[in-house]
Amino acid sequence: MRSARAGQIITALAAAGVLAFALLGDDEYTQHLLMWTALNAVLAVGLRFMLLVGETNIGTGAFYGMGAYVGAICTTKWGVPFPLALLAGGVLAVVISTGFGLVTLRTKGPYFMLISFAFTEVVRLIYTRVDWLGGNSGIIGIFPPQVLDPWMSVLTVVLCGGLILMMYLCEQSNLGKVFRAIQNNDAVVETVGIDVVRIKLVCLVIASFSVGIAGSLHAHIYNVISPGDFSYLVPVFALAYIKIGGDANVMGAVIGATLLTVLAQMLQGMGSMEHILFGGAIVASMLVLPDGLLGGAGRLLRLFSRART
Amino acid sequence: MTAPLLIAQAISRRFGGILAVNDFSFEIFPGDVMGLIGPNGAGKSTTFNVISGFYKPTTGKLIFLGEDITGLSAAAISRRGLVRTFQHGSLLREMTVHDNILIGALRAVRDNAGREKRVRETAELLGLGGLLHAIAGSLPHGLQRMLSIAIAFAARPKLLCLDEPLTGLNSTEAAAALDVIGRIRGEYETTILLVDHNMRAVMRICDRIAVLNYGQKLAEGTPEEIRNNPDVIRAYLGDGE
Repeated sequence: MRSARAGQIITALAAAGVLAFALLGDDEYTQHLLMWTALNAVLAVGLRFMLLVGETNIGTGAFYGMGAYVGAICTTKWGVPFPLALLAGGVLAVVISTGFGLVTLRTKGPYFMLISFAFTEVVRLIYTRVDWLGGNSGIIGIFPPQVLDPWMSVLTVVLCGGLILMMYLCEQSNLGKVFRAIQNNDAVVETVGIDVVRIKLVCLVIASFSVGIAGSLHAHIYNVISPGDFSYLVPVFALAYIKIGGDANVMGAVIGATLLTVLAQMLQGMGSMEHILFGGAIVASMLVLPDGLLGGAGRLLRLFSRART
Repeated sequence: MTAPLLIAQAISRRFGGILAVNDFSFEIFPGDVMGLIGPNGAGKSTTFNVISGFYKPTTGKLIFLGEDITGLSAAAISRRGLVRTFQHGSLLREMTVHDNILIGALRAVRDNAGREKRVRETAELLGLGGLLHAIAGSLPHGLQRMLSIAIAFAARPKLLCLDEPLTGLNSTEAAAALDVIGRIRGEYETTILLVDHNMRAVMRICDRIAVLNYGQKLAEGTPEEIRNNPDVIRAYLGDGE
């Protein structure tokens, strides 16, 4: 109980620190790094959200991409106000993920993972074939309103933090307990009158909404999108963030996303070595810290407190 | 005469070329403890799965509280008041005892205070009162069995179907389990359908017993009638040839 309280306080302090950094920093590169980190954190928490019901949703990449594309089109072609362009990303992801879930959530485990993988790749291929969506070269010139320029990093941090907080609160509620119960034993959940497929659908839709909004933000932060940005690699990287940070807790996903986003920037100049080092980091963390950095830190803390008493 | 709680009309279930349950009819009356027995592979578990909606019957009809429930999902049947347990103890292993029972009560009780009360009351009844914060998977086997009954009973079903609740329990644990089943029936007026291999226990607590053999009903009656039924004795002990 006391450690949960301490965790909340540390999290709140860290969030305040990040926010201050976004407000006060004036170096454009670090501001961008901060925004990329925030987006990746939403991706990781969104992917983890469906891991709560025991499903690995590679479709996270597809819903992120849909959010980005609809946001880009709203801004560049239709002149929709920026807040609505963000919301449109979430709404489209909700609509499509509802249909997707109704069809696919009767499968589970590796079957669902494969279907969601195929879905992500099909959606990506559709972008490349539709000229209206810019084909292979994608869409360029997606800018947020100019008045927002100095505020973009604050806005991104607040919005992404809000989405993460929303998913965290869902996880803490009774709904979150049902999620975890489904992951433990879905037959038991079914026998007490809870419709497992419907709950999984709710889970998918909440995660997709968050990821969809983050996608639209992505388009406005990078200003350029192309189909290759939204392949199955997006959720695969997100999975790496979760595994390295620790999957027992939302903060694990956030810490993993932060660490690896910064690391990826540092390795940027290394070409294909980047992927090798990334893969190496994942393997090393699985071997040394199977429950992630956060889990490892927790074990270390317990060790210390036991040594003291 | 009161109307039956559950009527199974000539249910059959086929798996490919195997007829696991064949033309099986029975009725369960409110307040009774009904036993379902039979040798291994007789179709008891399949019958359970059909009644609880995990399998659809190939043919036949199920009527619960006057309503045709044939083909409804397991969750929908459960919401109508027919809840089952599983043979191998069905738990949410990584969750606490409290949360296990809470999941059982979630649909049946709508407010959080009521849910807490339900969880505590159910835990006390099943001898889990002091273990609410223990992780389910770490409980000893006997208590895991009790917890699986607690999850099912937290919804206060009208018909509680127990799939081998006594298997693997030592004699002390089995006696405690029988005592609990008696209280669930007596204090809460719950009707019970039970499958088990512990013949002495089944004979003791059941009001009526149906015997399955090779998927077909061999006999039905009071424990006394079943005990003296020559067909049943032959099915269990062989005919001496």
